[in-house]
Amino acid sequence: MIADLLTTPALSMSTDAASLSVGTGPSWVLLIPFLALLGAALCGVYAALGVKTKAPAWTIVALLAASFAATVAMWLGFDGNPYTVKAFDWIQVRWGEGTGAAAFIANFSFYVDTLTIYWMLFVTGLATLIALYASEYMSHDVGTGYSRFFAAFSLFVFSMACLVMGDNFIMLYLGWEGVGLCSYLLIGYFYKKPSAVAAAKKAFIVNRIGDLGLALGIYLIFVHFGTVEFAALFADAKLQGYLEAAKVGNFDDIPAMAKAIPLLLMVGAFGKSAQFPLYVWLPDAMEGPTPVSALIHAATMVTAGVYLIARTYPLFLTSEIALPIVAWIGTITALLAATIGMAQFDIKRIMAYSTVSQLGYMFAGLGVLTPTGAAYHTLTHAFFKALLFLCCGAVMHGFAGQLDLRKLSGLRKVPGWRWVTIGMLVGCLNLAGFPITAGYFSKDTILAEAFVTPGASVIGFLLLLTAGLTAYYTFRVFFRVFMGPVHYEAGEEGHDHEHHDDHAHDTPGHHGDHESEPHSVESEPASQGPEHTSSEEKHFAKHSPAPDKAKQHEFHPHAPGWAINAVLITLTALSVLASGLYFVGGNKDLHTKHYAGTMIAQSTAAYDTPYDKYAFKGEHAVAQPGVGPRGVIAEPLTMPIIGGDPHKMMYFVSGVIGLVGIALAWWLHLAGRTTAAECRMDKVARMFGPIPKWAEHKWYVDEFYHAVFRMPLVIVSHLSHWFDKLVIDGLVNLFGLLPRVLGGLIRPSQSGALQGYAAGMIGGAAVLLLVVLLIAARIGGAA
Amino acid sequence: MIEKLAIVWPEIILFATTCVVMLTGQWPVCAVRRMTPWLAAVGLIAAIGAAMASPPSDGLYPDLVPYAKSLVGIMGLMILPLLAGTVDRELEAGVARGERFEPLRSNGAEFYAFFLFSLTGLMLVASSDTLIWLFLALELTSLPTYMMVTLSSRSTRAHEAGVKYFFLGALGAAIFLYGFTLLYGATGSVNIPTIAAHFAEHGLGPIGLAGVLISLIGLFFKIAAVPMHFYTPDVYQGAASPVSAMLAFVPKMAGFMAIFMIVGSAGWGPDGTGLPVPVEALLWVVAAMTMTVGNVLALLQSSVKRMMAYSSIAHSGYMLVGVIAGPGGDGASFWRNGLAAVLFYLLCYGVMNLGVFAVLASLERKGQEADDIDDIRGLVRTHPPLGWSMVICCLALLGFPPLLGFIGKVGLITSGITSGHLALVIILAINSAIAALYYLRLVAAVYLEPASDTGFRPSRYGSRQVAALVSAGGVLVLLLMSNRLITAADDASRYAPVAPETAPYAEAGANN
Amino acid sequence: MTTLAYADPSPYLPIFFMILAAIGFAVLNIAGSFILGPKRLGDRKGETYESGMTPIGTARKRFNVRFYLIAMVFLVFDVEIIFLYPWAATYTLLDPGSEQSLVWLGRILFFLFTTVVAYLYGYRKGVFKFD
Repeated sequence: MIADLLTTPALSMSTDAASLSVGTGPSWVLLIPFLALLGAALCGVYAALGVKTKAPAWTIVALLAASFAATVAMWLGFDGNPYTVKAFDWIQVRWGEGTGAAAFIANFSFYVDTLTIYWMLFVTGLATLIALYASEYMSHDVGTGYSRFFAAFSLFVFSMACLVMGDNFIMLYLGWEGVGLCSYLLIGYFYKKPSAVAAAKKAFIVNRIGDLGLALGIYLIFVHFGTVEFAALFADAKLQGYLEAAKVGNFDDIPAMAKAIPLLLMVGAFGKSAQFPLYVWLPDAMEGPTPVSALIHAATMVTAGVYLIARTYPLFLTSEIALPIVAWIGTITALLAATIGMAQFDIKRIMAYSTVSQLGYMFAGLGVLTPTGAAYHTLTHAFFKALLFLCCGAVMHGFAGQLDLRKLSGLRKVPGWRWVTIGMLVGCLNLAGFPITAGYFSKDTILAEAFVTPGASVIGFLLLLTAGLTAYYTFRVFFRVFMGPVHYEAGEEGHDHEHHDDHAHDTPGHHGDHESEPHSVESEPASQGPEHTSSEEKHFAKHSPAPDKAKQHEFHPHAPGWAINAVLITLTALSVLASGLYFVGGNKDLHTKHYAGTMIAQSTAAYDTPYDKYAFKGEHAVAQPGVGPRGVIAEPLTMPIIGGDPHKMMYFVSGVIGLVGIALAWWLHLAGRTTAAECRMDKVARMFGPIPKWAEHKWYVDEFYHAVFRMPLVIVSHLSHWFDKLVIDGLVNLFGLLPRVLGGLIRPSQSGALQGYAAGMIGGAAVLLLVVLLIAARIGGAA
Repeated sequence: MIEKLAIVWPEIILFATTCVVMLTGQWPVCAVRRMTPWLAAVGLIAAIGAAMASPPSDGLYPDLVPYAKSLVGIMGLMILPLLAGTVDRELEAGVARGERFEPLRSNGAEFYAFFLFSLTGLMLVASSDTLIWLFLALELTSLPTYMMVTLSSRSTRAHEAGVKYFFLGALGAAIFLYGFTLLYGATGSVNIPTIAAHFAEHGLGPIGLAGVLISLIGLFFKIAAVPMHFYTPDVYQGAASPVSAMLAFVPKMAGFMAIFMIVGSAGWGPDGTGLPVPVEALLWVVAAMTMTVGNVLALLQSSVKRMMAYSSIAHSGYMLVGVIAGPGGDGASFWRNGLAAVLFYLLCYGVMNLGVFAVLASLERKGQEADDIDDIRGLVRTHPPLGWSMVICCLALLGFPPLLGFIGKVGLITSGITSGHLALVIILAINSAIAALYYLRLVAAVYLEPASDTGFRPSRYGSRQVAALVSAGGVLVLLLMSNRLITAADDASRYAPVAPETAPYAEAGANN
Repeated sequence: MTTLAYADPSPYLPIFFMILAAIGFAVLNIAGSFILGPKRLGDRKGETYESGMTPIGTARKRFNVRFYLIAMVFLVFDVEIIFLYPWAATYTLLDPGSEQSLVWLGRILFFLFTTVVAYLYGYRKGVFKFD
């Protein structure tokens, strides 16, 4: 039944995505983006009216749920043929006549194919869930920033819908900038906190670098192909010709301009999806409220780069170096972010680096010609990373902003945190690639393809290593925070509603007073083992009614309420169920084995070029029998080290590596832990010398950027400042002086301004006429 | 002859409205006086309706009439709410206290009547096909504005501005009238298409050339281009903001349409690049100087109204680029058609500029309007709707993509490039960058800087704030409609010089 | 493009002469009266009027504003007469049955209408209230 549902009907399609007829779809599809826009507008109204209730949240949840329902309807009603739905004419510029006729057309219209549906399903679905979560999470700010938060949240969904559903690059760019703007607004939500503002600016500026690439790419697409509409572009005869050439490895026939397009587009993708070297903004973006981190900076917006490359996959196929570059950048990012993640202490930052790392996997997947794997990993990652973030958010919410894994321990045993613990465990298992979890399957898809692709096996090994590191740092968080002895210190934010009335985030000095001594509730000293549970309840019974000392020094973590728990349970279930997608939804006609494959195979991300044509490490054109179109493995290939079918082998290899990582984390952070703070890790870390220190400081990349990019800019700006002061201001003053000097010359005996003006006008006119006639005499004489 | 009435229906309607307004504006019954602006609005709406149905005129630009007159009507409607409370403030307050209404002391009737007269003149400029008509129409546009400047405020500054404006305006009018007589002397006709045909056949000749150049220099007064720009800052600052807002649009539009006709009579040649060298040189030099002088002097101002006056000068310089580029021959796209770009830009500029002045007019302290940049500091926080209107309009004026000013400027730039005036376009680009400095200063003052209590409160004439919001909204709405408006401007700029034998009234013109 | 000898100033001679004549006319008049006019100076000559009353008080006295308004209303009717006379003189020359005569009639009626409006305006303004 579910399998039926997952199989998109009527798959009587050719292998060539471009030859599909692009018809017009039902106009109710427009509801998907515009309901979200309506939500943003309504929140604006709430803000204007000064609504002091949770009405904004319920409005947004309802509208986003309706939007999700419309997306599901769009999916169920999809018959395999892409269609467009036009909202209104937007940019239609035509010029020239006859054969010289050309046009620049970008309507406000939406393009629906399986890729769109695939992306929109999880975007709107997760947005609905996270809006529900945020309704409780943001309750501190009801009446102050609540409407603003949900307005930006809803606007984000609208922008994301424009990005994913737009039928042309201009719409995509609009959405691209729109999500960037909303991201900026939401990272800087606590706009009175300097670090949040700095992070928002950093995200915005770093993204601009990528956006420049995207804009130039779009410009080149228009210049080269004469259209920015997807349907027209992918049906373009020129592009088809290039793809034919690429299929036989004849890249020399493809003009350099066409090959430059994917290189520019990928810069945009790297910026938005936080890939090396533009990843630095994402960890800082965690300054935003956690629901935002979960939705925008983990599940949806950051996958826009993956979407962009998947959408323009045919363009990437026309360059022999584009996909290898994508693969390598993805791999480097995955590894680098994983090493940084190992040494961080802020659990939200660890999750941020793991997001960067997992996005690296997706790019590597795109690069090694498995957009299917990338898309599947995007989906599973969206679920489990959103889950992980929301769990972190629940912790942060409950422990007054505490995120340091050294100051939290044993939450498993604290009453009311059961669902958070379960959710966290499921999320961590997924992220670590524990066998039979969704993350395991989706990661394997990418890893296996890396070993299949000739010349990419180094990528495969690096990704395997990263998988091990990922498992380690994931469970480092889990063992540290949720297992072990109960111990917690409150964070620096106010935790009680009565302290919160006047927006506690706004005034840093405001909460210093009642949280100045972090209160430790560590159960008796080291003698108590990690498995000590018997006295837990008693311990709490003893401590929770405040002793007679000053009441405000007692800290009560408040357990998540129903909205947070409901969302966590749903996401936990979804993360578990997502592994099922690996087994259902395959389609024989398309030679696909599972749902993601089916969806990708019908979209523009489907490809038709053998692997061996791409310049991985310069190994050119190695014949690889059995690698057919669409990545279908007709004959089993062999793993470089073990031999056998890489897809099957990978189940074992990656499973073992994941388990090793988990075991290492267990040994270093749980089994060897005597107290909450002390553990074997410190001794191990010492063996590596300064390396862990470097990793903790993120390999000094920020400092490097500061030195290499910012310092020269600062110097240049100082120079420009002086230039401005001396030369420009001088010129300006000169210009300011000039009319006066001229006027002084022209009016030697003036008694009032009026005569002066008249003299200036007549004198000016006379001089002008003279000058013009002199010019004309010179030019006209020659002509 | 009577057929000619068909194209002046909007003017007739406006004139009739003026006659009514002149009487109701000084009616002893308060309710009737209050109705005056509404009557003016009704007249304007009717005129827009008539303008849209207008047949082609006999002029050089047969299809200019519907676009230009609708534009005039719409801008008139947008300026109208801003005019509330400009005159008769104390008088009406006295009447409200129970004093007797004295028609002699009231200026409301004149003020609205002059406003409508000026718009009538502006519409007549669009439909003019002879030099005499053109001259009278230009004067009808200008004369009421001199008085509006003087009436607009009780301060001596306004009186000084009015007098300056009047004398310098008369000087400008004398100059272009002299140019017109030379044109008549060179061709023996006052009919503009006939003049164009004559020039096309016999060449410009020395007298004709002098006529064209001198007419243009005189008309530069209307658009506030160098060297006829001196009056602008004094007058804009002296007049009340609502009137300044009107001055930035009405004479400029009249001037540009007249320049179209004079330059059009000299002709761009069949391929659109053959503007006679001295004419092109004049326009080129003036365009470059106007933009530069306007922008550079605007940088130094601390009075927003003076700044906007200099920016108005600079914008005229931008638009002259479109005039130089010309209509671009048959079947040219919008990107080549400089005249269409100018027509579109006039609309954009009118709306954007109105917004800034409307915000200034909406803020008052003891009956005084805001003017200094300090007066609007932190406006986004103190009065968000006004502040945001200011931000939107300033960014649009700056040509911030993708706002309205940007789209307008793109047309000017592309037409400049495609007609081969790259150097001028580079000057334009540099000037846009200079302009960014002072527009961003305004935006920064309004948006970034902390609010300080300057004592300025929103005017009790709420319709002024409505005008500000409508302008800011207009900037956004026009942006969405820009596609259609560009097409309309493109159609309106059809340049159709006719052969001498088919030119209507050729005989009559020659015999005059 | 038509080639013109823009550098050749000779065609501008008429304009030059015209400007010269204009300046010359002004100079001639002022100089003429300066040279030809008798210059007799003295106390009597220095007075405002050579004969009659000695003026009392300042000449910069403020007149009632109605004085100007009436002057302007007079101007309206004055100009009207100037316009009406040539119209009346030529109207009889037109063919009475032709369409043109109607147009001419319409024109003068329109003109009269504007004068009526001006009169009404003045009336409402209270110009004709003498008190």
